[in-house]
Amino acid sequence: MQKILRELIQEKNKTKGASQWNIAWRRFKKNKTALAGFFIIGIIIFMAAFDSLIAPYGPNTIPGFYSGETRAPPSSKYLFGTDYVGHDVFSQVVYGASSALFVGFAAALIVMLLATVVGVVAGFYGGIVDNILMRITEIFLVIPFLLILLVFLKVITALAPSGGGGLFMVTLMIGIFSWAANARIIRGEVLRVKEQEYIEAATALGATKTRIMIRHILPNVLHVIIVLTTLMIATAILVEAGISFLGFGDPNAITWGQQLQKASEAVKEAWWEGVFPGLFITLLVLGFTLLGNGLRDSLDPRLRE
Amino acid sequence: MEVQKIINKEILEVQNLVKHFPIYTRGIFLKKQVGLIHAVDDISFSIKRGETFGLVGESGCGKTTTARSILYLDQPTSGKINFEGKEIITIFSSKNKEEKQKLRRKIQYVFQNPYASLDPRMTVADIITEPLTIHTSLPKKELYQKLYELLELVGLEPYHAERYPHEFSGGQRQRICIARALAVEPKLLIADEPVASLDVSVRAQILNLLKDLQQKFNTTYLYISHDLSTVRHLCNRVAVMYMGRIVELAETQELFDSPLHPYTKALLSSIPIPDPLAKKSRIILPGEVPSPINPPIGCRFETRCIYKKDQNCIKYPPKLVHIGKGHFVACEKTKKP
Repeated sequence: MQKILRELIQEKNKTKGASQWNIAWRRFKKNKTALAGFFIIGIIIFMAAFDSLIAPYGPNTIPGFYSGETRAPPSSKYLFGTDYVGHDVFSQVVYGASSALFVGFAAALIVMLLATVVGVVAGFYGGIVDNILMRITEIFLVIPFLLILLVFLKVITALAPSGGGGLFMVTLMIGIFSWAANARIIRGEVLRVKEQEYIEAATALGATKTRIMIRHILPNVLHVIIVLTTLMIATAILVEAGISFLGFGDPNAITWGQQLQKASEAVKEAWWEGVFPGLFITLLVLGFTLLGNGLRDSLDPRLRE
Repeated sequence: MEVQKIINKEILEVQNLVKHFPIYTRGIFLKKQVGLIHAVDDISFSIKRGETFGLVGESGCGKTTTARSILYLDQPTSGKINFEGKEIITIFSSKNKEEKQKLRRKIQYVFQNPYASLDPRMTVADIITEPLTIHTSLPKKELYQKLYELLELVGLEPYHAERYPHEFSGGQRQRICIARALAVEPKLLIADEPVASLDVSVRAQILNLLKDLQQKFNTTYLYISHDLSTVRHLCNRVAVMYMGRIVELAETQELFDSPLHPYTKALLSSIPIPDPLAKKSRIILPGEVPSPINPPIGCRFETRCIYKKDQNCIKYPPKLVHIGKGHFVACEKTKKP
C-alpha cells in the first residue's frame, strides 16, 4: 500500500499540468515588444550590478577637472563627454542606474503593498469597510500629487538638515502618495472575482473569510497586481527624475534627474550633459512600460486564444 | 427492508420556509425598497435518511433558492430548517463557529455549472483536498491517500491530480466537484442540476455515478432538476414546485403514474418520449407564468389552470393536503381522491 502510494505521488509529480502561469509565460515569449522591454531592463540591471567595473572612473571623481577638460564633448577618453566640473558623464550615467532601479522597485513595493491590502479588504468586505477605505483613497486621489510631494520633501529637509534620509525618503514619499489609483483598480478586480461561483463554493465548503481572501481571491487578482507593479516602477522612476530635476531630491545620491538639472544650465554648449541621462531615463521607463503591457496581454484571461 | 424502516427517520425538515428578495431603486442618497420577489413562499417538506429527494419545477420557481437557503448562502426570510434534529438557521446566523463548521461539513453542495464552480488557479489536488484541509488536520500523506481514493471513486486517473480545471471536459469537471463534495463524507448532498450543463451522453454517466456513490456511503441526496426523466431515474420521492410553492409531493412512481395537480399533469405531459410512433397528448397551458413580484393572491396556478376555478381558488392559497400513500396535493379541486 505504502509503495503504491509512493509510486502514485511520483507519477503525480511527473505529470504537472499547465497552470495559468505556464500558459501566460508561453504567450509572453511570443510577444516581441515585451521581450524587448525585458531586454532593456536586463541591460540596465546588469549596468547597476557591475557599475564599478563598467564605469571607467569612480563615482565621485572629477577626472576632467585637473586636465581642464570640463564640458568636453564625447571622445574616446570620455565616451559621453564631461560636465561642468569635469565628471565623466558616462560613469555618472552608469552609477545613476542603481538609484533609478532602487527608487523604482522600492517605491513600487510600498505602493503595491498598500494598494493590495486596501483594495482586497475594501472589495472583499464591502459595506462600511469599503466606504471608509474608498473615501480615504479618494482623498489621496484628489490632492495634487507632485505638489504635496515637493512640500513634504521640503519640510522633511528643513526638519532634518542632513539631507532628511536622502533617496530612501524620496522613495517613501512617492510610495505613500501614489497607491490610491492602484487600490481602486485592485478593488474593482476583487469585486469581479468575489461574485464568481467558486468563491461561493468555497463558502459552502466551510472556508473562512481569511482563507477565501488568501487562497481564492488573491491568486485570482494577482495578474492585475503584477501588471500594475511593473507600470508603477516606471512611474516611480519618472517621478523621482522629476523631483531631482526640480532640485528636491537627495543631493548626495547620483541620479539621472540631478544630472539633467545640472545640464539644463548649458543645453546649447554641452548637449551631451543632458541627452545621455535623459536617454537612459526614457529607455528604462520604456522598458518597464513595454514589459507591463506585454504582461497584461499575456496574463489577461479574457484574451486567451 | 426491516432495517431500512427503522433508520428511515427524517434527516432534513423544512418548515414554512420563505425567501423574499427585496427590489431596490438606486436613489441619489438612499435606496428605496420598491417591491419583493417572492422566490420561495411558505414551503414545507422533509427528507428521509438515505433517500433521494427530487425538487422539480420550471426555471425561476425557487428550487435553487430553497437549496441556497438550506446552506445559508441566502439568508431565509422566515421559516425553520431542522437538520438531524437541530434548527440550522439559528446556528448559521449565530457566532458559534464550531457548530457552523460541523454543519458545513455535513451538508455539501454540487453546483449547477462545473465551469464556474472550480477555482481556475488551483490544481485538482488542491481543489479536492480543500474541504479536508478545512475540516480535518490530516497529515500530508493521508491527504494524498484520500485524494487518490476519491479520484478513483469518481472515475478520474491519478495523473489528473496536478492538472488545472481548464484542462478538463465538463463531465470530468463535474466529477471533480462531486469528489470535492464527498471528500468529507457529508450526510446530505445537495445536487443543484448537476447535469444540466452537460452533454446528454455524459449525463447518464454522472447520474449513475451519483447513484453508485449513494449506495456506497448511504448519503442522502436533495436532487434539484427541471429534467423529469433524470428525476424519475434517480429519486425516491419528488416535490413539484410552481412559483415558490410546492404543488404536489409524492413517491416518484406514484407521481408519474397518477399526477393529480393540473400543473404536474401538464409538466409530465411535456416529457419527450423516445418513440416516433407514440401518441403524444400534450397539455398546453394557456398564458405565461405570472410575475413573482406580484403573484396571484390565491392559488398561484389559478391564472393558467385548465380546471374550472371558483372563488376559493382566487382568494385563498390551497394547503398541501395528504390524500393517502404519502401523496400530497395543493389543489381545491383534487382534495378528495
